[in-house]
Amino acid sequence: MRLNDLMTVSVRQVVRHRRRYLGVVLAIALGVAGFINIITMSRVVKTNFNEDLDLIGGVTVIRLYFDNNRSYRPQWFRDNTLAALSRLNGVKEMSLMAVHTANTNWHGQQYGFSVLGVDEAFWQVRNFWAQTGNLFGAESVAGRKRECVLGAELARKIFGSHDVRGRSLEINNESYWVSGVLGGVTDSGSANAAFLPLTTTKDRMAGQVLTDRLYLRCQTWDDVSRIAAAIPAIIKANQSPEELHVEVSWEGLKRVQQLAWWIQFLIYLAISATFILGGVGIWNVMMAAVVTRTREIGLKKAMGAEDKDILAQFLSEALCLSMGAALLGGLLGRIMMEILGRLLGIRPPENLFFLGLALGFLFAVILGVGAGLYPSLRASRMEVVTAIRYE
Amino acid sequence: MNNLLAARQAPGVLIQVTDLTKSYQTDSGTIYVLKDVNLSIDPGEIVAVMGPSGSGKSTLLFILGIFISPTTGSYLLGGEDVLRLDRNAQAEFRRNRVGFVFQSCDLLENSTVYENLEFPLIYAGVARGERPARIGAALDLVNLGHRIHHSSNRLSGGERQRVAVARALVNQPQVILADEPTGQLDRSHGHQVMDHFVEIVSHSQTSIVVVTHDPEMAARCTRVCSIRDGILYEQ
Repeated sequence: MRLNDLMTVSVRQVVRHRRRYLGVVLAIALGVAGFINIITMSRVVKTNFNEDLDLIGGVTVIRLYFDNNRSYRPQWFRDNTLAALSRLNGVKEMSLMAVHTANTNWHGQQYGFSVLGVDEAFWQVRNFWAQTGNLFGAESVAGRKRECVLGAELARKIFGSHDVRGRSLEINNESYWVSGVLGGVTDSGSANAAFLPLTTTKDRMAGQVLTDRLYLRCQTWDDVSRIAAAIPAIIKANQSPEELHVEVSWEGLKRVQQLAWWIQFLIYLAISATFILGGVGIWNVMMAAVVTRTREIGLKKAMGAEDKDILAQFLSEALCLSMGAALLGGLLGRIMMEILGRLLGIRPPENLFFLGLALGFLFAVILGVGAGLYPSLRASRMEVVTAIRYE
Repeated sequence: MNNLLAARQAPGVLIQVTDLTKSYQTDSGTIYVLKDVNLSIDPGEIVAVMGPSGSGKSTLLFILGIFISPTTGSYLLGGEDVLRLDRNAQAEFRRNRVGFVFQSCDLLENSTVYENLEFPLIYAGVARGERPARIGAALDLVNLGHRIHHSSNRLSGGERQRVAVARALVNQPQVILADEPTGQLDRSHGHQVMDHFVEIVSHSQTSIVVVTHDPEMAARCTRVCSIRDGILYEQ
């Protein structure tokens, strides 16, 4: 039997009995659509999820610092080191920091606190936002402005309120304009600190101000271990790694990864169940077809069909069924992808869609052949007389 | 070996069955369905095989179509010992050398008349372009050319059986084996089918073996044989 005849006959058969196959086709199509969306959207969703997860501890942020209190040769992050780190695959953004101490006199009361000199990326990297007022940006950093953001606790201690935007504060006897109060999940250090533009800190604070702290945000939690492991070698290649410390919230990371693993596992389980149901459906439908078409099989053998012709016909019908379902699944998957993309405000990469589609088709072929093989073998081995006399 | 057997066959004979026996072993002993059957059929002959139900008529027909094998005996078709063919060669034999017509007007359901006639051609590897002409010619022989694209489900019983005859013919076989082809038809449709058989042999050297209960049909055949208790008698 020629291939084009085989395909014509099989497609005709499936189309003519489409009502019988509808349930199976829908089950497989939904499985394929779900699979395509898992493949296509997972990276984007994971990235969004990562950002949200900073609410429970910033597990994708790696903190690097030189402990200069324990070293005779103070270290800070050099430009070539920063450039090398930013080139690491999986690094989303970085923020430099310098720490200094300062004090202020407010209505005769002396307050001592930490001054944290930060760049404009800091807020994004640490996922901080303004509780009141604004957080300074690139313009303030580049303009070396005397502007500050206060930690919530420090603002309350000095001004008795968080509504401090526009007020001025003397830091080490120099007046600074307060642009806002820090919000977000902060530790006590941040809550009791004043944040100044990094450039201003270097200019205005007495003594040597070293940019000896660096916050590095990874794209996903899967990148964290690899990047943390790669950092010491990169530092060593560019400067002295003396008293370098790399801190990762390993416990938080582990919990988040476990949570994500379970969510993914459950989604894959649901999709596998759909595929299995589709496979059982094909098996069932083809077995039923072999029984109901027993006389047809006998007739075709009487017309001269060989065992392999019958095998090929039933197998290609199973394949047509699963491939047709995969095609429908691809279409549904695309529609779902577009809807999800709009809801999440993202544009998933096209190459991932085609990868998902290709894998969906591959699964459909495996499913069609796997589930259709036994019924097809049974049909092909039928004896002519038994088949013709079947009532 | 085939050449030797061919040499033994009478000249001009298409089918030569010699000492054919079919038996089954049961708990109560051996049951003989056919006993030492001898039959020779010339090209262009219509041979009727008659007999009561269970006498072995259909079994003989199934052996001639090599659907089943005899217990002993030989069967030569065109000089070839077809009982020695392997499974694939048997399929090829059915594809190219014999055509079947069954009692129950067996057509492929949910298919058109054209598609029903196309299957034997597909299995025989006939090119697509050649098929319409062959199918048209076979349908013209049974006066159903106008029904070529009709669904087989919408044909009358007589038309279905004539389509089955056309399907048996479409590969131009050497012999047509018909198992009670008019068994489910009324008298006039039965006669139509028989008319077509007569016309087929008048146009070609195709032989036809017809199993029938109908004496009127048998009377129109070249020869009539009857089977009783597995023994074939020539009338």
